[in-house]
Amino acid sequence: MKLTRRAMIKDGLLVVSAGMVMPAIFSRGVASARAQALDGSRMAQTANDRTLIVVQMAGGNDGLNTVVPFTDPLYLKMRPIIGLSESKVLPLDTRLGLHPNLQALKQLWDTGHLAIVEGVGYPNQSLSHFQAMDIWQTLDLNGNGGEGWLGKLVAGLVDKDGHPFKAVDIGVQTAQALQSISTQVPTIANVQSYRLYPDPADVDGGNARLKALMRLYNSYPGTAPYAALLDTTALAAQDGSRQLHQADATYQPAVTYPKGPFADGLKVLAEAIVQGLGLRVGYVTLGGFDTHANQQATHDALMLTLASGLSAFYKDLAAHGKADKVVIMTWSEFGRRVEENGSLGTDHGTAAPLFVLGNPVNRGIYGEPPSLSNLDENGNLKYTIDFRSIYATVLDRWIGASSKDVLGGTFGAQNFLPQA
Amino acid sequence: MDTIEPIDMDMDDEPTEPRMNVDATEKLAPAKSVPTTPLPATVAPATVPLSRRKFMGKSIGGLAAIGGAGIAAAVGGVALEQWIQHRGSTNLFHGPLGSTTQIGHLLRRAGFGANPDELALYKNLGFNGAVDRLLNYQQVPDDTLENRLKALNINLNLALDQQRWWLLRMAWTQRPLLEKMTLFWHGVLTSSFRKVGGRRNYMRMIVQNQFLRNHAFDTFDNILRGITADPAMLFFLDLTTSRKNAPNENYARELMELFTLGLGHYTQRDVYEGAAALTGWHIRGLTSQYYPQDHNDLVKTYLGHTGNLDYKDVINILANHPATPWFISRKLFTFFAYENPSVDDLKPLVDTYVQSGHNMGEVMRTLLLSPQFSSAKAYRGRIKSPVEFTVGAYRALNINGDGAGLPDITTLMGQTLFDPPNVAGWPGDKVSALWLNSGTWMTRLNYIDLLLARGTAARVGSTPLVDLQSIVNIHQLGSPDEFVDHFSSFLLDGELGGDRRTQLLDYFTTQVSGIRGIPITLPNGKSYPLGSVRGTLYLMMASPEYQLN
Repeated sequence: MKLTRRAMIKDGLLVVSAGMVMPAIFSRGVASARAQALDGSRMAQTANDRTLIVVQMAGGNDGLNTVVPFTDPLYLKMRPIIGLSESKVLPLDTRLGLHPNLQALKQLWDTGHLAIVEGVGYPNQSLSHFQAMDIWQTLDLNGNGGEGWLGKLVAGLVDKDGHPFKAVDIGVQTAQALQSISTQVPTIANVQSYRLYPDPADVDGGNARLKALMRLYNSYPGTAPYAALLDTTALAAQDGSRQLHQADATYQPAVTYPKGPFADGLKVLAEAIVQGLGLRVGYVTLGGFDTHANQQATHDALMLTLASGLSAFYKDLAAHGKADKVVIMTWSEFGRRVEENGSLGTDHGTAAPLFVLGNPVNRGIYGEPPSLSNLDENGNLKYTIDFRSIYATVLDRWIGASSKDVLGGTFGAQNFLPQA
Repeated sequence: MDTIEPIDMDMDDEPTEPRMNVDATEKLAPAKSVPTTPLPATVAPATVPLSRRKFMGKSIGGLAAIGGAGIAAAVGGVALEQWIQHRGSTNLFHGPLGSTTQIGHLLRRAGFGANPDELALYKNLGFNGAVDRLLNYQQVPDDTLENRLKALNINLNLALDQQRWWLLRMAWTQRPLLEKMTLFWHGVLTSSFRKVGGRRNYMRMIVQNQFLRNHAFDTFDNILRGITADPAMLFFLDLTTSRKNAPNENYARELMELFTLGLGHYTQRDVYEGAAALTGWHIRGLTSQYYPQDHNDLVKTYLGHTGNLDYKDVINILANHPATPWFISRKLFTFFAYENPSVDDLKPLVDTYVQSGHNMGEVMRTLLLSPQFSSAKAYRGRIKSPVEFTVGAYRALNINGDGAGLPDITTLMGQTLFDPPNVAGWPGDKVSALWLNSGTWMTRLNYIDLLLARGTAARVGSTPLVDLQSIVNIHQLGSPDEFVDHFSSFLLDGELGGDRRTQLLDYFTTQVSGIRGIPITLPNGKSYPLGSVRGTLYLMMASPEYQLN
């Protein structure tokens, strides 16, 4: 498989010319190109303008205090102090209620745009944050790392308009889910800093220096250390910075976003969607969920941050007529121990619910609730839904990519999205 | 990657007063037989060769054209880290490093790079003498650093000022390996100011930092004992709230997974039993105290040892566990030499650990004097971390600022001191390629622009922090060649392949129209536009080579 893309330096910045790229196709990523050639399978078409936003809740979110089984007597029995009683939760039905600070998500539920999948996990969890994060992001159940599932997806997406922003990661380090052997995902801490500043003494606004810089990168020997990484990094930066700033100059959010890096990040993603930068996959992380001790205050604050950020994002998209084009899913590396510990917190657990939201979503509760009376030997929930079936659903039914190709297997589907 | 919302943790402050105020009298732990058999050799997984880019370089219609998207072909299932490592493993340099190059390499890895004077000083000592000077840091006075810091009146209760204080330490110290080793430990035995008991207790991070500095080359046993009892760590991993009848698993798990053994060498039962054994610690302001009456006195079985175990037993068992020297040697080797070391690479470090009674200074000496450390594979074999990049430029260019703005810059590059993304420290410490992406690359280049052309972050547009005319005068840089060679000698070891030196000279000497700023005059009387001169230095520090360590 060969991809070529030509671009020119114009006005000191890189302009990717349209029409010089392959037709919009999806392949399952370069890593499996050889396997693909062998079995001759068809490349899936992905000519649509749909976006998937993935929200990582890092640290292991306490699923039982997020989507609360408030009528199960075992719940409050095992969590006498930190448990959320019926009077506190926002009931979804006779069995489940949302954490009281998820009011904004409850509104999305009421208008039909929120789905919950219960019992999501995988077998033989080690209770290690880092192995669990590896597994969720690379699907290597041995936790050996490798290409991320979204990286594999994005690497195979070719945009006929040459958009550099088919995927964006918010932050300072590209998430493992977005790591790919052939594509650099633009990683943006904030719009302001996503540019190269010229020397004020340069009368040409920095053009000559930038050109000389690119020459230095061009002539860096291909066999020298990190050559490919340095090249793709410079290219990704050059590609994107001007387009982002042009988009930024004319973007007006329709709502006031809450303060803080999480909502700030969502705002950048909304901007990329609203301004037509070709965003197919957006990724943002909210951290701090490792609540071993005195968890209530921390978890309360995180729930509010999550819900208010996602709600503002949704409303912004809706006001710009983009809400039909975006699906948001959350994930966390594990849930937490059913029984509270002696420090008013919870230790590492296993299965947990996750959220899928957006106009395209079929409201409802999916999956199967794990039993609180039938725990594993460590006092953790037994998972009922393989996390890969969630990925398969969003890939097949939303992005329009072949989940079999991206995930390397068939993992079924959940009905929170209609069949394609 | 990790966006952490600021949460004021004051409400959680000091939740654990001991139940009885009785003097702590610690019983001596019963001696235990400790296994010292070596681990079975782990086999390094085979890397899959990858072809790399076809890239750039043609000219179309007078414009540089960039063909992009270098596509590496590979069979499926390549572990990303191996793939990234592979990208970094090819090297132009074969055979032993030249003496200047080797000293430059040593000072970058065992420090933060060097200015021309330092480079000359260490070069005169020879490589072994340089290693001695770095390790025997007590013999090198560092009063100038302490006085300079004192003069800045930095408020160590503030998170940003703590970062600034440490960054300036690294930039100005005459004991670079001591600071580098402290940075290494901070990435392994890590804590974050975000969870040490609220703003009033931020100073606990400095206490931890000073502990790691004071014991940087101590035995691993002492380091582990100290960090277990460290107030910031007690709070960060919740040992201070662990109750003898309901132990908190957090510290017990990470102590094994991330500090000593690694995944696969313990069970969930060991986590639970270890947690019980570790109970009894409480924070007392900026210190801590062990209360035997709050320790779980039941019989526990931990990693095959049974008894009424306490924290000293736990540390003793871990420091003597056969997996530990491999685990910590792999961390050291990866951080200081190169990634994915082989069993053969690590064996001398493991042997030194065992033979020296777990002395980390001796392990470091073995590492620095190993042929692997000075190998072509190690040379430019890691991407500079944000701290290495930021401090390195500050140090090499002798910048005499107050460090204002530096913490924000390292944060944008992906590293905030005293605030790792999580308890595993910085992923880039393990896989240095993770430091580099489009956003952090531009931040690196903008930082260089800031130093050379703009002034501090806080005062954009003010006087640049580097006075190039003075440097030209002091070093008598009489021509564009001398200018490029001077800076290349200590920034790039003078290692600029191909026509890359010529490219820099071209940039220096190419006539530009419409000149801003006061030109730089060389000793020969010839003047060059300001933008051309400092642009040349910018290009050197923005170059691919300068991103590498």
